[in-house]
Amino acid sequence: MMVGRRILVSAILLILAVLIEVTVLAPLSLPGATPALVLVVVVILAGQFGAITGAVSGFAGGLLLDIAPPAAGTIGISALLLTVVGYAVGRFAESDDRPWWSLAILAGLAAPLVVLGGAVLGGLLGDPRVRWDDVTILMLTAAGYALVLGLLLTVPLGGLCRRVVPEAYPR
Amino acid sequence: MRDTRRSRIVFAVLVLMSITLIIFDLRGGGPTRPLRAVGETVLGTAERAMAGVVVPVRNLLDSLGGMGEASSRIAALEQENARLRAELDTVANDRARADALDALLGLVSTNDYQAVPAQVIAVGPAQGFAWTVTIDVGSRDGVERDMSVISGAGLVGRTIDVGPTTSTVLLIVDATSSVGGRLSGTSQIGIVSGTGRQDSLTMQLLDPLAVVAVGDVVVSFGSEGGRPYAPGIPIGVVAEMRGTEGQLTRSAILAPYVDISNLDIVGVVLRAPESPPRATLETSAVGE
Repeated sequence: MMVGRRILVSAILLILAVLIEVTVLAPLSLPGATPALVLVVVVILAGQFGAITGAVSGFAGGLLLDIAPPAAGTIGISALLLTVVGYAVGRFAESDDRPWWSLAILAGLAAPLVVLGGAVLGGLLGDPRVRWDDVTILMLTAAGYALVLGLLLTVPLGGLCRRVVPEAYPR
Repeated sequence: MRDTRRSRIVFAVLVLMSITLIIFDLRGGGPTRPLRAVGETVLGTAERAMAGVVVPVRNLLDSLGGMGEASSRIAALEQENARLRAELDTVANDRARADALDALLGLVSTNDYQAVPAQVIAVGPAQGFAWTVTIDVGSRDGVERDMSVISGAGLVGRTIDVGPTTSTVLLIVDATSSVGGRLSGTSQIGIVSGTGRQDSLTMQLLDPLAVVAVGDVVVSFGSEGGRPYAPGIPIGVVAEMRGTEGQLTRSAILAPYVDISNLDIVGVVLRAPESPPRATLETSAVGE
């Protein structure tokens, strides 16, 4: 029952995040990276529900990003990177109580690492598209956008999770 | 408090699954082809629905932003109109020259192409380094893999994945894109490759002695049967030459005609013109 609603709310948020990322955020052509909405949602879900939900959401969100048109990269790369992010944030969030903005900071830290990880994996796998001279600016802008999205979304999405799955929160 | 062993096992399984997917995708087998088809069909349809809301809003915002600009533009255009009227008597002369130049350029009037119009509905995230977009036409509109995509300005790219109602377009600036190009007005040909940057393309000239000047226009050479690239579509202008004449490899930097970051309405070329603007070598006649 509780697991069912947790999966449902996570799935809806992730699918919406993927659709918004490719149809709204990417066409804005902001300088540098595209704001990583899916990553921010994975971080928030991991922060709310812990490491297992975090890892599963990361895998599912990453896989959706890998196959959502017009994706042209190797399937599995985003899934791998976001699984690591979801698990790590989930483990961190389980440790103790922290201020609400800590998730936004984590998103801002994770986003540039995911950009770097994607470039390193792409390079290792022989992807001719990787441009190393652009990686620094992509990392910096990705961090900024993820921090802003995190600050905007942590409270409303956290509230939504609490409302839909109140059993996941003690007291 | 929570079961860390279980979460570690879940994590390890998901990492292994991701790595398996990566390996399958690189080897070109396993579940990745159906996965892509599902993505193009299901997520493509969802993106199309989403774009039904997003695109009108985007257009509205654009037109609101352009309103103040519009009135000053009208004034400027009226002035220009008056000036053009004064120049009208010289037009006949210019027209003859323009016709000659057009013929020289070998550009085909866009009316000769049978194309289906499409709206760009989604763009690939920049951190993926790939330059691809999704358009709202698919196999139901007659679109197939490897068809040219054009806009009013010139060549945009080619279709690489086609779903029932959406298609994915590989843009010419993508680092994996290469198009046969011809310097219009000459028989000089070369390969135009994407650089991964939206404002430049490189053209590798096949003839090291080719005479190329900055400002020369490059059009598509055309592939066999007009696919993936139809002939005579403007690609860009030469912005810079690399290497000196006679050097083994020479390349030119091109500025593409199409503004990649601002794509909106494009067209997919379903059929190239009946008579391509180039001589085709009849292989059967040569064989006899």
